[in-house]
Amino acid sequence: MTTIRNREGAFGTYEAICITSTLMITKIFYTSISVIIDIEGTSGWIGTIVSCLTTLVMFSLIYMLMKRFPNKDITQIFEAVLGRFSGKVLSLVFSAYLLFYAASSLREFVEMIKAYNLPYSPPSLLVFAFIAVCAIVAYYGLEGIARISGIFFIPVIVALFVILLLASPNYNINYMKPYLGYGLKETVVTGLLRCSAYDEVVILAFMINSMHGLKTFKRAGYSSIIITGITFSSNLLCNVLAFTYTGGRENLSGLFELSRAIYFNRFVQRLESIFLFAWVISSLVSVAIAFYLSINIYTKAFRIPGHRPLIFPFSFLLFMVALIPKNMSEVVQLNIHFIRQYSCFFIYLVPVMILFIAVIFRKRGDIVHGKKN
Amino acid sequence: MAKKRGIPGLFSLLTYKKPKEEESFYIPETEEEKRQARKIRGVEHKVRGIIKPTPVSMIKKVKTKEQSKGKNKETAREDQSGEKYQVVNKDDGNILAEEISRDIDENMELVKKAFNAEKNKDIIIREFTVGGRLRAFISYIDGMADRITINDFIIKPLMIKKEFQEEDCSLDRILREVLETNQATKISETGEMIYEILVGNTCLFVEGCDYCVSSETKGYERRAVSTPQTEGVVRGSQEAFTENMRTNVTLVRRIVKNKDLSTEFLKIGARNQNQCAVMYIDGLINPAIVEEIKRRIKGLKTDFIAGSGMLEQFIEENTWSIVPTILSTERPDRTASHLIEGKAAIIADGTPFALIVPVSIATMLHTPEDTTLRWQYGTLLRIIRIFALFIATFIPGLYVALTNFHREMIPTDLLIAIAKARENVPFPTIIEVLLMEVSFELIREAGIRIPGIIGNTIGIIGALILGQAAVQANLVSPVLIIIVAITGLGNFAVPDFSVAFAARISRLAFIILGAFLGFYGISLGIVVGAVMLACTKSFGVPMLTYFAPKVSNSNDLVIRRPIWMQEFRPENVNPLDVTRQSKVSRKWVEEAPAPAEDSDEEEQEGKRESKTEGEETGGKEIKGREKKGSGKSGEGIEDEEDEEDDDDQE
Repeated sequence: MTTIRNREGAFGTYEAICITSTLMITKIFYTSISVIIDIEGTSGWIGTIVSCLTTLVMFSLIYMLMKRFPNKDITQIFEAVLGRFSGKVLSLVFSAYLLFYAASSLREFVEMIKAYNLPYSPPSLLVFAFIAVCAIVAYYGLEGIARISGIFFIPVIVALFVILLLASPNYNINYMKPYLGYGLKETVVTGLLRCSAYDEVVILAFMINSMHGLKTFKRAGYSSIIITGITFSSNLLCNVLAFTYTGGRENLSGLFELSRAIYFNRFVQRLESIFLFAWVISSLVSVAIAFYLSINIYTKAFRIPGHRPLIFPFSFLLFMVALIPKNMSEVVQLNIHFIRQYSCFFIYLVPVMILFIAVIFRKRGDIVHGKKN
Repeated sequence: MAKKRGIPGLFSLLTYKKPKEEESFYIPETEEEKRQARKIRGVEHKVRGIIKPTPVSMIKKVKTKEQSKGKNKETAREDQSGEKYQVVNKDDGNILAEEISRDIDENMELVKKAFNAEKNKDIIIREFTVGGRLRAFISYIDGMADRITINDFIIKPLMIKKEFQEEDCSLDRILREVLETNQATKISETGEMIYEILVGNTCLFVEGCDYCVSSETKGYERRAVSTPQTEGVVRGSQEAFTENMRTNVTLVRRIVKNKDLSTEFLKIGARNQNQCAVMYIDGLINPAIVEEIKRRIKGLKTDFIAGSGMLEQFIEENTWSIVPTILSTERPDRTASHLIEGKAAIIADGTPFALIVPVSIATMLHTPEDTTLRWQYGTLLRIIRIFALFIATFIPGLYVALTNFHREMIPTDLLIAIAKARENVPFPTIIEVLLMEVSFELIREAGIRIPGIIGNTIGIIGALILGQAAVQANLVSPVLIIIVAITGLGNFAVPDFSVAFAARISRLAFIILGAFLGFYGISLGIVVGAVMLACTKSFGVPMLTYFAPKVSNSNDLVIRRPIWMQEFRPENVNPLDVTRQSKVSRKWVEEAPAPAEDSDEEEQEGKRESKTEGEETGGKEIKGREKKGSGKSGEGIEDEEDEEDDDDQE
């Protein structure tokens, strides 16, 4: 099998952590918090830890698969295990899913920014500007994405925790009660299902050839899951502490409401500006990553040497898919609900199935340096 | 056209006639030439005396055609006057092909022809006899060469010398014994000879020799070394580069007294034959950088490069990037510090600036003063500069976005103040901002163009009067005057001229984005700017290294650590030697303090006493006591052991 020369650029562990974490953390700015509080009540912060642990297990299985096929990304593994045709079909399904993911995130973002900040701006202009920037970022390829993720990740995380810290006068420790929310079973089951909220970690398997081997893959994967778990859990907890679970489930964006609730004196109050910049920038970066990966997987499936010619058609597709939902509630109840609650059945189970098939049919990667890997 | 008479003439008045074209601008010669040229289609430019550039491939094609047909195609292309057209530039090609001959007359003819001596009165050809026997001549360009050197150290010794004997070529002997100039080289190629004369040297031709001798006689007017105009510092060197490349190289070499400091000279510009020097420390700089610099400069095929500004544009990686990828400095000390960090400097003749490559964006915000001041002050200055860059780029855009889209984010008191100030202003904020920005840029540009003191005053007067009048006329709000003023100050605080320009352009983009999409638009702009900057490279080094991609910090990036903690060179340029200084650069902190003057005598006496004892004990005791005093017993033991070893050896 001929290998495609990697022209995507290379990046290290830090950049890999930043890419994955940005993609995973961005959803904290959206409706995720209110949805979890709605389902799990006050125990949302425990539920997300269950999700985090589940993801760690699933990631370990993916890691085993990648270890079995060294120097191959997951699209190449699909082809190696399932054959060329089936492998390509599976890659294309992943490409389509990422496009759907990018479009849904974009639409969710646009709906929210219209609701909160730009009520009079036409949504088509907002979508167009957003997609134009995503296209520019995608034009610079994976290296460019890795670098901007590296640049913006720390400011975004700092901004996020600054909001949580500044809103602390509003917290009431008693709002945590009852500690197990609607019950342990509900918390654990939802926690297991909501591991979909962490399934973006699988993108590392698509970018493995740009990283410095399996070690980076493993380190980046575990680190980003843990970072995201801590961020999600602390955000959920702070939201419950500030608004109670009854108020928290009503907020469209829990974090935005939290930033609005900041009040120290007449001058230091309502620091939505911090939130806004962090929110927009992290959304841009995360949609750009998903958008680029969608193109990238497509080019890998059809062995197209460069991704740039496909940016324009994919931008058009992104625009179209983003406009399919009729309104905000449709986006949240269909698209986002599927992505954050049920996508794990597809994202995690496919690589795990591939791993089982590879084990059963004794399929392995190439021999490297005279040793079987 | 003959006039129609009678009935047809009347009809002609009724019918439509195409109006005559007015001859507004008519050059009869051109028309004549065009008419002539039409007869000889394809060689119109020849008729007008223009030498059309011909691609090499085309010349080859013509040559092969000629060879295959066995006849000269050019003979077919003769115009009415019978002039023969040639495909190649006959003058240059022929002269360069000619060799320096043994015949002095031929050589003189060659020089005259090469420099078009009939019309060009700059070229001086002085004929004389060496030792009363051999015919010779010197050639130089008037004004470029030093007359005293030529008179006293070339012509005089040659004419005085009497005992000349016949040799195959007497120039060898002249070079050895007669010429009194500090540099003299043999030249046998015509092109080289022409270049030597052009740069101000004097070429000596002697009968019977098929080469000439070029003597160093450069002596044109040049500006003296003066203080920096744009990179002034309070503490630090007050020297700046001049237009003369040699002087500039010397200025740098005077600071870096290192035998490995290498200077390579490269020619730039085919017609103006300019020179540039590539300076680097051999054994420290990554050789790939030097190779890349030389490759780019050698690969330039252009007719005119006036200096570093033009050269920078020719060799930079990304011409579309608004942020410069090459650092330009007028300070020899700054150049030297970059050379020591493992970078290269390119100094072009004609401009008082050196180009430093490769650089990162952090380097652009450094000044030489950061290093000369104590680390706390240097760090503060850097933070101020970063803040200045932020203000210069974002403040007007943020103001427009805030007032147009996000009023709820402004604290109420401030919002009331802004609203009050804007109450009587008829324009929308964006027009207000653009109006003031344009006015500010106009004042700035006018201040630079108007000479002398008036230039400085117009800036202040213009800003004061215009701002005050605009507020009184209710054209702009006072808040906006503050915004524009603080933006201007921020822009002036940016140390690099090109980065300040980039900030000005970005500012305009952010104003527009802020006006259309508020903070959302500004965030979009930030992401686009970041990705473009992150993917821009300066001679292979990413502009945002240290941030993206992450490399280890050299302790001199934003926060300047104390100078003794800066143990490593910047890693982004991959120098061959990363270590700048040893881990303990201040050895004195580990040594015992020098004894005070009063105790000196006691110490001396003690030493004298112990010397006698030491002779017996082998000097162990003294060392042991000293080390005890300094509290470094461990090292004292080592020293004792060393001492013992020495004694054993003895």
